[in-house]
Amino acid sequence: MSGYDPDSGNRRSTVWPMSSAIEVRGLSKQFGPLLAVDQLTFEVAAGRVTGFLGPNGSGKTTTLRMLLGLVSISGGTATFGGRRYVELGQPIRHVGAVLEATSFHPSRRAEDHLKSVALGAGLPMSRVDETLDLVGLSDVARRRVGKFSLGMRQRLQLATALLGDPEILILDEPSNGLDPQGIQWLRTFIRHQASLGHAVLVSSHLLSEMEETVDDVVIVSHGRLVLQTTLAELAQRAGTSTGLRVRTPEIARLRTVLDAVPVYYRQTADDSLTIDGATPEWFGPLAAQHRIVLYELVHDRGSLEDVFLSLTHGFDAGDPTLMGGPVAGPAPVGPVAGTTPGGRS
Amino acid sequence: MITLVRAEWLKLRTTAVPWVLTGIALIVNALLILVIFLTKPGGGGGGALVSPGYTVPHTTQQLRNLVGSGFQGYLFALLLGTLVVTTEFRHKTVTTSFLVTPVRPKLIAAKLLTAAILGAVLALVLLVGTVIGGGLTLAARGGSFTDMVHQVPAVAPGFILVFALFAILGVGVGSVLTNQVAAIIVVLGWFIILEGILTSLVHSAFKWVPTGAAVAASNLTRDRGQDFGLFHWWQGALLMLCYGLAFAVIGSLILTRRDIT
Repeated sequence: MSGYDPDSGNRRSTVWPMSSAIEVRGLSKQFGPLLAVDQLTFEVAAGRVTGFLGPNGSGKTTTLRMLLGLVSISGGTATFGGRRYVELGQPIRHVGAVLEATSFHPSRRAEDHLKSVALGAGLPMSRVDETLDLVGLSDVARRRVGKFSLGMRQRLQLATALLGDPEILILDEPSNGLDPQGIQWLRTFIRHQASLGHAVLVSSHLLSEMEETVDDVVIVSHGRLVLQTTLAELAQRAGTSTGLRVRTPEIARLRTVLDAVPVYYRQTADDSLTIDGATPEWFGPLAAQHRIVLYELVHDRGSLEDVFLSLTHGFDAGDPTLMGGPVAGPAPVGPVAGTTPGGRS
Repeated sequence: MITLVRAEWLKLRTTAVPWVLTGIALIVNALLILVIFLTKPGGGGGGALVSPGYTVPHTTQQLRNLVGSGFQGYLFALLLGTLVVTTEFRHKTVTTSFLVTPVRPKLIAAKLLTAAILGAVLALVLLVGTVIGGGLTLAARGGSFTDMVHQVPAVAPGFILVFALFAILGVGVGSVLTNQVAAIIVVLGWFIILEGILTSLVHSAFKWVPTGAAVAASNLTRDRGQDFGLFHWWQGALLMLCYGLAFAVIGSLILTRRDIT
């Protein structure tokens, strides 16, 4: 297997089918009594940026480390174009990874760190200067990594991942430690990688951070897949999934009215409730028909972050404040657990 | 494998610790040489260092002892071997190493080879230092520099072999005990304290313990090893190698199953 060759796109696509550069099938990881990853299945397409999203502790890092052969797999498969990481031959020519809790020897110079990796992988030494230049560390190449800031270390990790000019990039919370300019730079960089036809899988616990970067999203919670979809589809869901906040002195009457129609609502205060997925155009006439006095009528438009939070926290059935949310409506869509049924408050 | 060994070598020489340890080994060796020459002949206020009937080294055995005066520096080779593995865990660089070389026993094999070379290089450095430092002192004291140099071929092969074997043992132990502090405490505890206690209780055990095997392998006793209850040099070398490889195999098996989180 040779490395990524931009001139042989056709040949390459037979090795890495454009449909799925990364395939995760029924992947599970048991740490003692803890099931950290549970039957996880998703795919990452070449030429696209896939956001791997979920709250902290949802099994993202474990999944990525299983993909990379660092953590053993309890069940299922995690492959790159059908092959496991250990079977890739010269893996860093195909898969570049930036992981948390990876470090550098503090007394080693940045350049020497990259040289040792290039030597071990049989890459030409010219790649060292090229990648240092690419991540903007050329000026500090001879500096010892112990003197590096968190952001510089993150860039050096990225340089390490890019040494083999891989067609697949795996980035675990890559914006940690980066300043706003660094994050902006990272976004541009990730989009550029995708435009080259590379597959990028990037994890984050914040969707808002990824909104401008990703094409697809894989949302996990408690080690399980919540949803795999495109960002566009998720945005559409956010756009349609609205909530209506109503403040009224006649809360009891309003509840009786709402109990008679197929909607989800929850009381948020003595005089307020929120009706999931409702619109003022639908609710206004209803209130008028029943002559209910309204003090306030607010149409909440769900944001992507709201959708994300409701999807991931929907699994926390024990926490009532996080239940329901703007995703659910008169016609709930998707695998959303824990929506508040009508009448419950 | 050659590329991996070159990468490991680069990793070693681009950190400070191997250089510092080599420096300390050289200083200790220099002090040992000084002790040899401070031991003045006859009385004359030499104090505790007086050794009756002493002359400047001139017999074959005395000259060989001088050339091989840095022999105990094998402990530094052992420590360096341990560090070749444990440093990676201490600084979490092992993640990158396993990403480059996901077949973990392959990485351990590269480290064994690298450590063997490192041990041999340390031995060479100490030998060269001894020949220059010790030889010049000898000449200044009226001894024969040439006579000393003539004994180098008899000493050097065994000396270098033992250092390489100890470095291999270090990698083996380090791959089982990846915690750097634990590994250093265990190897120093064994070689400085436990082994001595064990062999003083059970004299016949000496030929079997690493130090006994190493002394045999060094062949510094010039085929008189059996007189001291030691193995032949090649048997000793083989035993040492077996110790090192046994640890390395166990370590590889453990590491292959280990989750790097």
